Amino acid sequence: MNELISVAAAAELIRKGAALSLAGPESALDQLPAGNWIGGTIPYFMVAGGGTVVTEGKVFVTDLSKLGHISIASYGPAELAGIVGHAPENGFSLTIIPAGSQSHQRFAAEASSNPDAFLKPTVGWISGVHLSDLGRVSPKVYDGRTASKHEDRAVVAYVSLPADKLASVEIVNLFEPDGGDVLHFSDTSFQVGECLVNGKKVDFAQYLRSNGLDGGKLPLVGDFAGAHINVSVQNIDDVKGVVNLYAPVFPGVDYHFAKPVPDYANAFRARLAKVDAQGVVMGCNCILNFLYGELEGKAIGGVQGPVTFGEIAYQLLNQTMVMIRIS
Amino acid sequence: MTVPASNHPCWQRLASGGIARLKTQHLGTQLMTKRIERSTDSLAVKASELHAYFAKWERALPAEVSQLASF
Repeated sequence: MNELISVAAAAELIRKGAALSLAGPESALDQLPAGNWIGGTIPYFMVAGGGTVVTEGKVFVTDLSKLGHISIASYGPAELAGIVGHAPENGFSLTIIPAGSQSHQRFAAEASSNPDAFLKPTVGWISGVHLSDLGRVSPKVYDGRTASKHEDRAVVAYVSLPADKLASVEIVNLFEPDGGDVLHFSDTSFQVGECLVNGKKVDFAQYLRSNGLDGGKLPLVGDFAGAHINVSVQNIDDVKGVVNLYAPVFPGVDYHFAKPVPDYANAFRARLAKVDAQGVVMGCNCILNFLYGELEGKAIGGVQGPVTFGEIAYQLLNQTMVMIRIS
Repeated sequence: MTVPASNHPCWQRLASGGIARLKTQHLGTQLMTKRIERSTDSLAVKASELHAYFAKWERALPAEVSQLASF
């Protein structure tokens, strides 16, 4: 099961002992009983009929029960190494972290430096809020064992697979580097004052403005040994003289800005039509794709799932669709 | 094709920069490659990490594993 259902139906599944990953509005998740589940707040979803917004009464359920042995854990911001540290030898760690929290910041900066990060994959998403509630309501995650909600913890459903199964983490990223300026950053940071553009030090905010990139619609695309990993621009803070990003940039990585994508929905449809659906058990897509691509009401194919404030595929990603496949 | 033994010289060569020439479209392998490139760990530690990675994912990465011994 990987679909939007009523709160009552989700509660019934929990009472029957199902192991679930849940996404939905806070008012809906608050109604659920304790059990074998994790959850995170988000009202945006991509379902078969297209992008949709749910403000109450429904939650998106991914039933993990049949995949293998499931155990639930929760970690504070200083304990995040435990996500990989306690992960099963064969399986994956489905992880939800609240946007804007210390846990979010630290996971983004530290996850890929864990030497076991690529032996024991972490996949998941960053919880958020309705955009009209930004700054007024904090994103939450839920530890279903106690039906408790948290503003600054990572919740994890460890999925231990049978020996004959393997988990693979896949992404669909519409963005390609533009082939122009090469940008380098000296620190791992969500905030950038200066950077190198083609080897010359520049004020990053000025660079964005002078190149028409301050609107934030085009992400930076990092070259990670051929993998395109996006970092999205949040805003320019003129008081602090920095550009705020939705994920950290890293030293030692070549970044370009992305080429424009004229029609997100068509581009996703074309890409997802080539993705084998066999074995895909869950997925998520980015709120910025939903917004800038105007995906509400537009079907794009692929796996149904939450539309999130960040995606996790070993490390934090932006403006990317993430899937986990069991084969 | 099996993963070379941990004492095969390919691991040192991969750890000292050869990994950048591995042909792969596999996300985890690409991100791990970048981690190795950026890491300040010793060559021995990087070589050990690479061996552990390919031993773990041998079944899922036949195209990548087939390249290892040539490094």
